[in-house]
Amino acid sequence: MTSSRLPRVVLYLTLLFLVGPFLVVFIAAFGGEPTLKFPPSSFSTQWFGRVLGVEAFRGSFWTSLWLGLASTGLALLLGVPVAYALSRYRLPGAAAVQTLLTSPALVPGLVVGLALLQYFVNLGGSVYPSLLAAHTALLLPYVVRVVSTSLVNLRPDIEEAAMSLGASRLTAFRLVVLPNIRGGVAAAAVLAFITSFDQVAVSLFLTGPGVSTLPIAMLTFMEYNYDPTIAALSTLLIAFSVGLVLIFERLLGLSRYV
Amino acid sequence: MAGRSLTPWLLVAPALAFLGVAFLYPVITLLLSSVRAQDALSLGNYAAFFSDRFNLEVLGRTLRVALVVTFISALICYPAAYGMQSVPPRYRGLVTALIIVPLMTSPVARTYAWLVLLGQTGIVNSTLIGAGLVKEPVRILYTEWAVYIGLAQLFIPLMLLTLISAMENLPRDVVPAARSLGATSLQSFTRVILPLTREGLVVGGTLVFTGCITAYVTPALLGGARVQLLATLLYQKAGVTVDYAAASVISVIMLALTLTVAGALRGRTGRTR
Repeated sequence: MTSSRLPRVVLYLTLLFLVGPFLVVFIAAFGGEPTLKFPPSSFSTQWFGRVLGVEAFRGSFWTSLWLGLASTGLALLLGVPVAYALSRYRLPGAAAVQTLLTSPALVPGLVVGLALLQYFVNLGGSVYPSLLAAHTALLLPYVVRVVSTSLVNLRPDIEEAAMSLGASRLTAFRLVVLPNIRGGVAAAAVLAFITSFDQVAVSLFLTGPGVSTLPIAMLTFMEYNYDPTIAALSTLLIAFSVGLVLIFERLLGLSRYV
Repeated sequence: MAGRSLTPWLLVAPALAFLGVAFLYPVITLLLSSVRAQDALSLGNYAAFFSDRFNLEVLGRTLRVALVVTFISALICYPAAYGMQSVPPRYRGLVTALIIVPLMTSPVARTYAWLVLLGQTGIVNSTLIGAGLVKEPVRILYTEWAVYIGLAQLFIPLMLLTLISAMENLPRDVVPAARSLGATSLQSFTRVILPLTREGLVVGGTLVFTGCITAYVTPALLGGARVQLLATLLYQKAGVTVDYAAASVISVIMLALTLTVAGALRGRTGRTR
């Protein structure tokens, strides 16, 4: 009997290994000492206040939020038509198009960042457009994959019915297809936003003094500070992701798309 | 009729144009710059890179770390994924959520947890000292061990999810059938489960391996300057010492490694189908 229980024990221990560190961060965030200690010997909530007080975090938070929303929007705008074309038309060279579109997921993020640094920034371009371009390229494969999945699962005859009743293809897409793939598009948007918001590798070379994203600002802050501020900020970020995942898991079944 | 065949191209054109200008052209330019020196075709950058012992050490370490983490992930995830089948159905959603949530969480926050746990005053050291196993705090941070632990936590969810779905596709009775025919549990694993889930293992292994090759935050925070991997070396060359020639060579090596593994995967799953 014990031999059949062993795999489940391994599973639970693995979950502890995956999630346990989060609990440690939560507890450390409420530590009372000015240097990071675990377990803390006194408790306080001062570090959460400190997070809001650090100028580098406030500025970079807005940059990350703006960048996440803009790159997600742009990736949807470019990616949804591609998903539609790939699932509804017989495209000569579809395999090549698909390979090209997944290529940003195959190239290491640091390499993408460095390439865009040399291309845009050294050409005298500004940092923001290159950050936006890099993030959008990174998100495109996810958007195309997730939206394609829901398009493949949607039978094409209902839009054909709409068109045989006189709707143009665009009208049929807007009134028939889009409402039916809403869940997939929303799931793609959530995945894309989180991917952009948490991104380090692609952004690393494209940020600098003046322009920084939140994850990069955290890394910089950690080099010089050893107090629980980062624990408090990490707690907020973990709560944010868990909340986002739970809401969308309940609404859309996000796990089907990961 | 002509308009009809043009529509799909109009739909994919903006995305392709965008990728061409904002992604492919810059990346290809960077890769090509590795074989140029003073505006002439040259392998000098490669010769310089490979003649530096330190660089070779970093390359070897990166491969070793990626292989070890992939192997350990498979070793842990096989029994864990098998264990999922004996989890009561109403808890399976929760277990899946606990596997997915770390994937959706900032890698900085996830890696930071290990700084708290593995540091000189961290819980691991205070437990070891408290139990009387060691007298002085053990150095774990900034060693290869810390990088193994951090990367394993980062990428185990990918292997676990892949193997769980591979085992869900396993015919339900094959293991009991093997056991009733006299197979030991080891034999039923090596002769039945392993061959039937090999594709999942290859997919999961590829995700973990390429993830380890390209991860930056974990080696930067947990390995520090002592345990450099290709990703941290790339950052150092391009961001700190501004040695773009070396950076372009490292870029080519990293990309070649991930593409080789991903390509091998494609060939492999293509054949088994």
